Amino acid sequence: MLWGVNILISGVFNAAVLFLIAAGLQIVFGVQKIVNLACGSFYALGAYFGITALAWAVKLQLPVATFIPILITSGLLLAAVLGPTVERLLRFVYHRDEHFQLLLTFALVLIFEDIIRIFWGASPLQSNNVYFAFGELPLGHNVAVPNYNLIVIGIALAISLGFGWFLQATRFGKIVRATAENAAMCEALCIDLSKVYVAVFTLGVALGTVGGALVVPAAAASLDMGVELIVDAFAVVIIGGLGSMPGALVGALVVGLTRAAAIWLYPEFEMLAIYVIVIAVLILRPRGLLGKSA
Amino acid sequence: MTILQAAEVRKFYGAFCALDGVSLVIGEGEHVSIIGPNGAGKTTLVNVLTGLLRPSAGTVTFKGHDIARLDPLRLSRLGMARSFQLVNIFPQLSVRETIAVAAISRLGMGGRAFAALRKNRLVWEIVERVAGLFGLAGKLEQPTRSLSQGDKKLLDVASAFALSPEIILLDEPTSGVSTAEKTTIMQVLARAAKETGIKAIIQVEHDMDIVFGYSSRIIAVHNGKILADGSPAMIRARKDVMAIVVGRP
Amino acid sequence: MSVASLNASLTGSTRHGVRPVHVVPLLGLLIIAAFPYIAGPHYAILMFSAMGFAIALMGLNLLFGFTGLLSFGHAMFLAIGAYTAAYLTSAKIMALEAILLTAAGVAIVVAVPIGLLCIRYVKIYFSMLTLAFSMLLYSFLFKFYPITGGDEGLRIKLPTPLLFDLSGLDTVTILTGPMYFYVFGMLIALTFLMWRLTHSAFGLGLRAIRENEQKARYLGVNVQRYRLVAFVIAGVYGALGGVIVAIPVGLAEPSIAYWVQSGNLVFMLLLGGYTNFFGPVLGAILFIFFQDQLMSYTEYWRLTFGVLLAVIVIFFPNGLMGVLDHRRVWST
Repeated sequence: MLWGVNILISGVFNAAVLFLIAAGLQIVFGVQKIVNLACGSFYALGAYFGITALAWAVKLQLPVATFIPILITSGLLLAAVLGPTVERLLRFVYHRDEHFQLLLTFALVLIFEDIIRIFWGASPLQSNNVYFAFGELPLGHNVAVPNYNLIVIGIALAISLGFGWFLQATRFGKIVRATAENAAMCEALCIDLSKVYVAVFTLGVALGTVGGALVVPAAAASLDMGVELIVDAFAVVIIGGLGSMPGALVGALVVGLTRAAAIWLYPEFEMLAIYVIVIAVLILRPRGLLGKSA
Repeated sequence: MTILQAAEVRKFYGAFCALDGVSLVIGEGEHVSIIGPNGAGKTTLVNVLTGLLRPSAGTVTFKGHDIARLDPLRLSRLGMARSFQLVNIFPQLSVRETIAVAAISRLGMGGRAFAALRKNRLVWEIVERVAGLFGLAGKLEQPTRSLSQGDKKLLDVASAFALSPEIILLDEPTSGVSTAEKTTIMQVLARAAKETGIKAIIQVEHDMDIVFGYSSRIIAVHNGKILADGSPAMIRARKDVMAIVVGRP
Repeated sequence: MSVASLNASLTGSTRHGVRPVHVVPLLGLLIIAAFPYIAGPHYAILMFSAMGFAIALMGLNLLFGFTGLLSFGHAMFLAIGAYTAAYLTSAKIMALEAILLTAAGVAIVVAVPIGLLCIRYVKIYFSMLTLAFSMLLYSFLFKFYPITGGDEGLRIKLPTPLLFDLSGLDTVTILTGPMYFYVFGMLIALTFLMWRLTHSAFGLGLRAIRENEQKARYLGVNVQRYRLVAFVIAGVYGALGGVIVAIPVGLAEPSIAYWVQSGNLVFMLLLGGYTNFFGPVLGAILFIFFQDQLMSYTEYWRLTFGVLLAVIVIFFPNGLMGVLDHRRVWST
């Protein structure tokens, strides 16, 4: 029973973070039709930046309650700088074959990895004890759930709800959805596509950086994390379907829970399990579980 | 001899009925024009007849085979070819190479993976002959995307002809082309058909001059049904058809 | 029209005279052949690896340049080559020919089912699926320590080509001597084979599929079969190249199959130019030597490569051979 709860909580925690990254991937793909291999890099950058912010907060002896807002803010700040810059670069290949767009984002993966090396070095960084500073929630029978996980799950839920509201209810959200459906039409209706693209891309980056920042207290920031995340994020997107937000949620839950279960039960199969599911989904339902037709 | 036959074909897009019980029989020696106003179902009909779309109900048989089971590849092997309304080309291949693809299929030489293509006299003979028939002989080296719109259309048709099919379906072969070029294309088509031994031509067409100038038979389609099916003289006499399709009695 | 002028116009070279796009491959060939004599052992061994990558890349380009399918999982075949060499040499089967043949066989066995699955999808989905399969292999190699040696990998002992008596020679002399020219001979043979393949009716069919899949179907091209054959051939070339690349390293380890390695392969391809037949060979050589030099100057070589790739993608998508050859249309 104990391990059941652990799997559930760590699985949903994984899923929460994965969902944020995948949502970023989805919206960039949905609107700009670009598959962003560098989303993992944004995640890693968010993590490293978050650690630096946390270290600064600890030095200033700020209360624990401020940590999460600090992490989120650091992620948003980073996105505000990176988003428009990278989008400007991607503009060169908007009208080209998708292969080239993919390759340009791969170039970014290489570039960002060394940028992390330059600023933070090659060894993994940890935020000491921040995770435990949040305490635990006792559930009886000697079972306790770390509070941090619950908080992050809550934040992810809040973000996804806010996101959904934004897309449905606000004017800009409607413009974003319209652009995803038919960009040419939007242009004809005098919507400034370049503004939409910058905003959407920055939003996608922000989801990545905030996700990375939030994960930092629970895991170390390492050079591998971005590159490894890509495969998970793509698994999420493939399972849920390219272009579908509810799909990102479903995919994130599938991947997050599968990983957690595999780590606890069959560690050798941890990585295999995900790919087998991805391949099975691609064979049986290439659009993904909830995706629109390819 | 019947080549192509449609029996009570229906096609639904969701709740919308594009084809509502279409039956027709095409035999040897016919040059059939399919006419009708926009949205009548002409292109849907051609797409169903050529296996691009599956009928929701009814059957289409080509030389006795039910084409629902056959994909475009097998249909082309059986002897059916088509051209497309929107220009359908290989942008970076030259005119010569485009026609060669069809010639290779016709000669059954697609499996040749080691023999140098440029030494294959049979293929290039077909390419030269077809290109000559369609007036493209002087443009053989040009990459297709640099051709004029009319030439691209001609090439699309020419490559279909190079398959030496028994029946060829052309979806608006003269659309998007200047009036002067239209007549040229039709003359080329008629001559090419004779020279390549095609048994039947089906043509979706909007230009009534062409329809009445070249067809041996006209099928008028409206709201997914066949309104009239007969010789040009018979169709011209049908005031209702002329009103719907042409807009004047 | 005479056959001679037909031939000339087919290759598009109705112009007379020698142009850079002809000279570079010939020059390159001469340089590779003479390399052990003009450069020291370190660089000769680098060229040895480069030849292996060149073979693997020719396979990748059959898929990408000719058929329009970008595989982000080609590294899995290089891993197949490396691990085949490891298993066979540790089982005391040292004949290079046996290793190459087995690697090719394994590649075919693996490529057929994976290919059947992947070729049903195009563009991004194909890239993602091939990436997923490559990572599947990676995780298998990584986790199953008893079979695969885990992240430590498996040793590859130096194989010997048949009919060569290499007793008494040390590794470096072998790699820069008889084995080097053996591999060079392989490169020539496999390049010739690929040339014939791409200039055949099959090659034209592949290009037609790349240009317009639907129209190719309507003109009688069996799209799925052609794609599968291209995928399998690419896999075989990848495995053969993988054996060659792994020999000087002496180790088969999981990271060979990692998706970033596949990305590097694509980078090499773009560097040399995927629209030209010799682009892959040029790209492999450039990348290997550039990486070697770069790594001795700075530890931030990834950054340099990333910037270089970005520049190529944006400004020189047809790579170096594309720059030399001004025609936009794919040329021989």
